[in-house]
Amino acid sequence: MSLPVHPILAAGGGPVIPNFGGASKCVVENHQFCMSWFLHNFNTVFGPRLVQHIVLTAIAVGVGMVIAFTAAIIAYKENWFETPFSLLAAFLYGIPAIALFELLVQLTGINVFTAEIGLVSYTLLILFRNTLTGLRGVSDATIEAARAMGLSSRQRLIRVEIPIAVPAIMAGIRIAAVTTISLATVAAYIGAGGLGEPIFEAIQTGFKTEFIAAGALAIALAIVVDGLLVLLERLVTPWRRRTLQGA
Amino acid sequence: MVNRLISITEGDITIDGRSVRQLELTQLRRGIGYVFQQIGLFPHMTIESNIGSVPRLLGWSKSRIRERARELLELVGLDPEGDLRRYPGEFSGGQQQRIGVARAMAADPSIMLMDEPFGAIDPIARERLQNDFLRLHRQVRKTVIFVTHDIDEAIKMGDKIAIMRDGRLIQLATSDQLLASPADEFVASFVGEDRGLKRLRVRMLRDIELDPPSANATPAPQVRDTTSLHYALSRMLTEGVNRLDVIDEEQRHVGSARLQTIMDSIAPASAPKPGESHTAAA
Amino acid sequence: MQTSDPFSFFIHNLSLFASKTAAHLELSFVAIGVAIVLAIPLGVWLGHVHRGSFLAITVSNIGRALPSLAVISIGIGILGIGFLNVMVALVILAGPVILTNAYVAVEGVDADAVQAARAMGMTPLQVLLRVELPLGLPLIFAGVRTATVYVVATATLATFAGGGGLGDIIVNEPTYGTGGVIAGSLWIVVLIFAVDGLFGLVQRLVTPYPLRRLGRKARTDALIEASWEPSSHS
Repeated sequence: MSLPVHPILAAGGGPVIPNFGGASKCVVENHQFCMSWFLHNFNTVFGPRLVQHIVLTAIAVGVGMVIAFTAAIIAYKENWFETPFSLLAAFLYGIPAIALFELLVQLTGINVFTAEIGLVSYTLLILFRNTLTGLRGVSDATIEAARAMGLSSRQRLIRVEIPIAVPAIMAGIRIAAVTTISLATVAAYIGAGGLGEPIFEAIQTGFKTEFIAAGALAIALAIVVDGLLVLLERLVTPWRRRTLQGA
Repeated sequence: MVNRLISITEGDITIDGRSVRQLELTQLRRGIGYVFQQIGLFPHMTIESNIGSVPRLLGWSKSRIRERARELLELVGLDPEGDLRRYPGEFSGGQQQRIGVARAMAADPSIMLMDEPFGAIDPIARERLQNDFLRLHRQVRKTVIFVTHDIDEAIKMGDKIAIMRDGRLIQLATSDQLLASPADEFVASFVGEDRGLKRLRVRMLRDIELDPPSANATPAPQVRDTTSLHYALSRMLTEGVNRLDVIDEEQRHVGSARLQTIMDSIAPASAPKPGESHTAAA
Repeated sequence: MQTSDPFSFFIHNLSLFASKTAAHLELSFVAIGVAIVLAIPLGVWLGHVHRGSFLAITVSNIGRALPSLAVISIGIGILGIGFLNVMVALVILAGPVILTNAYVAVEGVDADAVQAARAMGMTPLQVLLRVELPLGLPLIFAGVRTATVYVVATATLATFAGGGGLGDIIVNEPTYGTGGVIAGSLWIVVLIFAVDGLFGLVQRLVTPYPLRRLGRKARTDALIEASWEPSSHS
């Protein structure tokens, strides 16, 4: 198996600056950050990887949500299911990313699919716990009112319990999304692409601008996504915005 | 048990001659308005959606639901325009319970179950809610089963009161009968040592035998015939008189109430005999 | 020394694992130590004066959002390759968790207990040392535990920045073979769970007996609350 990068090279060899045609002085001398190089190469180097990164994350959180949500509904109805699923999810969550990816590579090879399996498995714990906590947080009075109205258990779930759990679920999606953005950078190591790719490129070349640009983009992406999800949560839960103080 | 939130272990409950066990559960529940202490408004729905919960289940149109919600908000004393789009979290406990009552009445059920509905509400707001509900009840006649631990609330709200103890029915009577002749020691202590005074509250001047109007009597303070004996007595005490002139709706002088008459009306001799209470019809 | 069997690799390379584990833990604990020294006093002070909830929540949100490899990457760009760069990155990643927990721990101490302490005539320092810190300790320690597990896991990435540790084995298949990569991956998993378990035991010990159940609940509540919108705190 040949790995896409070899860290010993980066640690041992001197910087190998990529020459993208007419390298400026800044690039040749490997200054801290070459803004003109960054801007010139944004569309070819960073833009597509940024998109890749977003797609990787969205798929992982989406698939993770489907699995975790189903599991949480089952655990909500059948209490015994909570412990085994929690333990499994907590175990997966506890494995360091690079170790999990390396282990998965042995099974499914170096590709995006393997990366997604890893990323999905990291989202499960948070999404499961938050969804279940949200469902269990529905007050007994609310459930009693719904029952007394003649809502079936299915109607109750869809019209009352799940909507009331939305803030907790959204909080879980937020954490899962930023965690996945973080881990997806590592997933580039097993060929998933995304913003980790320029980082691993830079590890081989020692090109500082690429280190800083890719790192900063990943951080910016995480913070922007976090902020957008906060906005989305407010949008979908108008009832949490205004409440009587102390009522 | 009536709406089978708790299942029946023994005996039966019938509504219009049909056992609740035979009725389909969801149909049964949609036909009974339910109000309880914890209110249980749906926090994620607007007031309109909350009130419209059962009508929506019954397949009402949107415009009909809105109209009904407006009408009910008005009826329970909230703002039918502004409050419709707001969320439960924006209202105080008392207001929330008004909405709870509106929600329970949405599909115009013939029966309302109220389980300590005003129990968690502060005394001043509770008093107002009780009065408003009584007024409401006069407008919209329904069979209301009202559960409370507060005997004064029971006396005030109930046409007939059933006293339960450890799951057994001890006495079923009108509030007047209950106060006049409690079935046993338990009921007597429950209604309170001052049941004589309490009884004054449940009887009105028109319920007692008044002296016919007499032309040569000196004029006395005037009170309406719907005044409670409690208030009438208070008037006598504060004004230092022992006679009040009673007038009716059209301000006609219908008679005079003397202190002695009020006392006699409460005295044991005029009380209904024990045992009579069970057969007393509503 | 290549073999495809991770177990025989492990058995035959015990000294390699020992030295890499030692380096891994050294890096992790130095980073945690620095993070504790920086974050706990600040968090405790903010909690004591009941100020800076916005700061604590923002730091926690941004801290959680920081992708670890990205921080290390920027670190390489600025500080170059080596132990120092990785340690700084780990401190940045661990600090927010510790800070937020310390803040929430002290800020959330039962206001009645604090009022009672004041009414007895305790000085603010005495209130802090005798009431707020002992009551907040389980939650403060919970933050340290979470951060430690996070740092030990993230230190695996140190290898990309020349920081050493167990990552050296995991990402160096040409030298150690498939068996080495798998053995390294499994070993780090064992190490993580061992560290978490050990800290769990210590956490029980630092929690006064009557608070044990409470501490756990408070921790869960704080985590859930912290993960919700910041306005719920202000």
